[in-house]
Amino acid sequence: MTNERESMCPSQLGLGILWPAFWTGLPIKLVFVLLFLSLGMVHFETRIGLAFLMLLASPVTVFALPTITFGLESHIGEGVGIALLFLLAIPIDIWALGVVGRTFFLERLKREPQEGLGLTLWWKCALVGGIFLPILWLAVSFTTSTAISTVHSLFETDLLKVVPVAEKISIELVLWGTVATGVLLLLTVAGFWLVGKFIGGTVESARPASENYQGLITRWDLMRVPADQGLMLAALTGGAVVLSLLFWSSLPVFTPHPHECCKKPEVKAEPAFKPLDTLNKDEKMLAQLAVQVEALEKQQAEAQAANSKSKGKGQAGKDAVKTPAAPAPVPPDAKKP
Amino acid sequence: MSHTPSTNTEATIVEKVIDFVDERIGLKLLAAKMLNEPVPGGSRWAYVFGSVLLFIFIMQAITGVLLMFYYVPTADHAYASTQYILHDVDYGWFLLSYHFWGSTAMVVCVFAHMSQVFLWGAYKKPRELIWLVGLALFGIVMGFGFTGYLLPWDQRAYWATTVGVEIMDKTPVIGDFIARFLKGGATPGQMTLSRFFVIHVMVLPAALMGLAGLHLFLFRSAGPAGPFRGTPEELKAKTDYFFPRQIWKDIVGMATVFACICALAFWEPVVLLEEATPDPGDYHPEPEWYFLFLFQLLRLKMFSGELGQFVGAMALPGAFMALLAALPFIDKDPERNIFKRPIALIGWVVVMAAILIFTISAIINREFLD
Repeated sequence: MTNERESMCPSQLGLGILWPAFWTGLPIKLVFVLLFLSLGMVHFETRIGLAFLMLLASPVTVFALPTITFGLESHIGEGVGIALLFLLAIPIDIWALGVVGRTFFLERLKREPQEGLGLTLWWKCALVGGIFLPILWLAVSFTTSTAISTVHSLFETDLLKVVPVAEKISIELVLWGTVATGVLLLLTVAGFWLVGKFIGGTVESARPASENYQGLITRWDLMRVPADQGLMLAALTGGAVVLSLLFWSSLPVFTPHPHECCKKPEVKAEPAFKPLDTLNKDEKMLAQLAVQVEALEKQQAEAQAANSKSKGKGQAGKDAVKTPAAPAPVPPDAKKP
Repeated sequence: MSHTPSTNTEATIVEKVIDFVDERIGLKLLAAKMLNEPVPGGSRWAYVFGSVLLFIFIMQAITGVLLMFYYVPTADHAYASTQYILHDVDYGWFLLSYHFWGSTAMVVCVFAHMSQVFLWGAYKKPRELIWLVGLALFGIVMGFGFTGYLLPWDQRAYWATTVGVEIMDKTPVIGDFIARFLKGGATPGQMTLSRFFVIHVMVLPAALMGLAGLHLFLFRSAGPAGPFRGTPEELKAKTDYFFPRQIWKDIVGMATVFACICALAFWEPVVLLEEATPDPGDYHPEPEWYFLFLFQLLRLKMFSGELGQFVGAMALPGAFMALLAALPFIDKDPERNIFKRPIALIGWVVVMAAILIFTISAIINREFLD
């Protein structure tokens, strides 16, 4: 068992430290995300999954994100909060890597963790991530776009044109998705290997622990218990109350408008056909028209009466007969069905 | 006259209240039983999903009750009252958006919880009943999503329900009855809304509370399964009580999920489409995202026609659910390590990959419809 642990390969070492460190720091980072969102300092684009991954993996993305954002022009959102968030993530990640590193060194590697382990692990991970992640980004983007266009052109051939749309979508997705996922996985493992290789020196320089397994477990278990539990509880409760008050005081009362960069495509629906409204409108129009017809008939009857009266009065009386007034135009709204 | 000497350890008011309740209902014993449960192999993040699900349900109940203060469950006013909540009620947009994304989080956590139990082999003897009740709870969560989707009474709600009820109609023998019962008429209308509302706010919460209680009782009776690998020495060294470490992990898990739901409510607040009408217009009806894979599956040519639709919509999902229910009775091998159960591992990967592929395909398929 001990030999297995001591002969841990670099990719296992990288994964074993980074994976728990990602999740250890995330809850604290999410609190700041929420606060910045309610203050309107952060606006995420449609690729929220990518933004989540970037934040989750901030020990390795912290230096890579500016390169990816400015160098490769791939944004995750807008607002000063994003830069602030990744700055705040630095101390959180150093703490998380320290907690995870100490546990990992004692339990899995049976070695004494050094002083300042969190900081050492952080700068090594951030450096590897800063160089390797933009390369991974470029490689995966290129592979994905090439795979999509290749598979798409394959299905444009006469032989495969007959494949129905639903089947075509799924087969295309499986084909280019397998290639893209394969490359992504391969490069991710390579990334973990690089991190493991880079922090291998820190592991080598650590002294072997002398206690037995039970003793080591008790040590790392007690390491996670704060020295002053009452103070810790009071500080946590106080922090939670302050953050909750800040959140509720900054929460917009009405739906916040999205930033220009992050407007969602509008889902359009055909103007609704409302049978009751249409019937009501038609009824109104008919009533209006009936009133107009009635008015016209009345005018005509009056004119005829005036005509018959003036018959015996000669030519002068003829001039007095007026043409009935033109009917009032029907309002455009009433004409619509 | 004798006086009791005053001591510094005199009970505070809180302690007196606790003692008062304890004398009557045995509170301290109950708390000890609840909190001092040994967790074999120690606390783990993988165990937080059950508690997180309970938390999401409580939050859904709270936000749901607050929404009901304004929502009017009639075909004439459902849409207008939802718009009123979104645009006029203070923080109404946040409540409704939280409730909407909370339902999504519940489905995600149910999938995660079921996957964890499956991969850990925690459905095996003596935990078969926990698994079966869990499956029923899964059905209830899906029912919540389905019935709640209609309530805003916009085009999306109306047509998703129409599609869903049509799929149910294909069930042999009882399908026609279920469809007629849910719709309450030839097309979705007031009766449909009333029935979905009652099921959503009365029937399903009551069923969920009862079954969740039973699930917890069975879980406490059988005890936690613990990790599927590790030497007895390791397990013994790491075994811990439920309080405080697992509770701490559960609290962190709940806070994380709460923050994620709030962030999603900010990222995409609920926006309604046009009011529901029997004319879909340009809108292409589709169900909620967690049913999209099934919807896309039904678009495949092999599932066209009356028989194909029945096989795709009812027979396959029904057979899959029956297989899940029978799983503890088929798989009697006590081995729990997932890496030593290749069929289970491959099966899980295939199902997850199929759900993912068909869900993404359904999203891509939208481009062909627009």
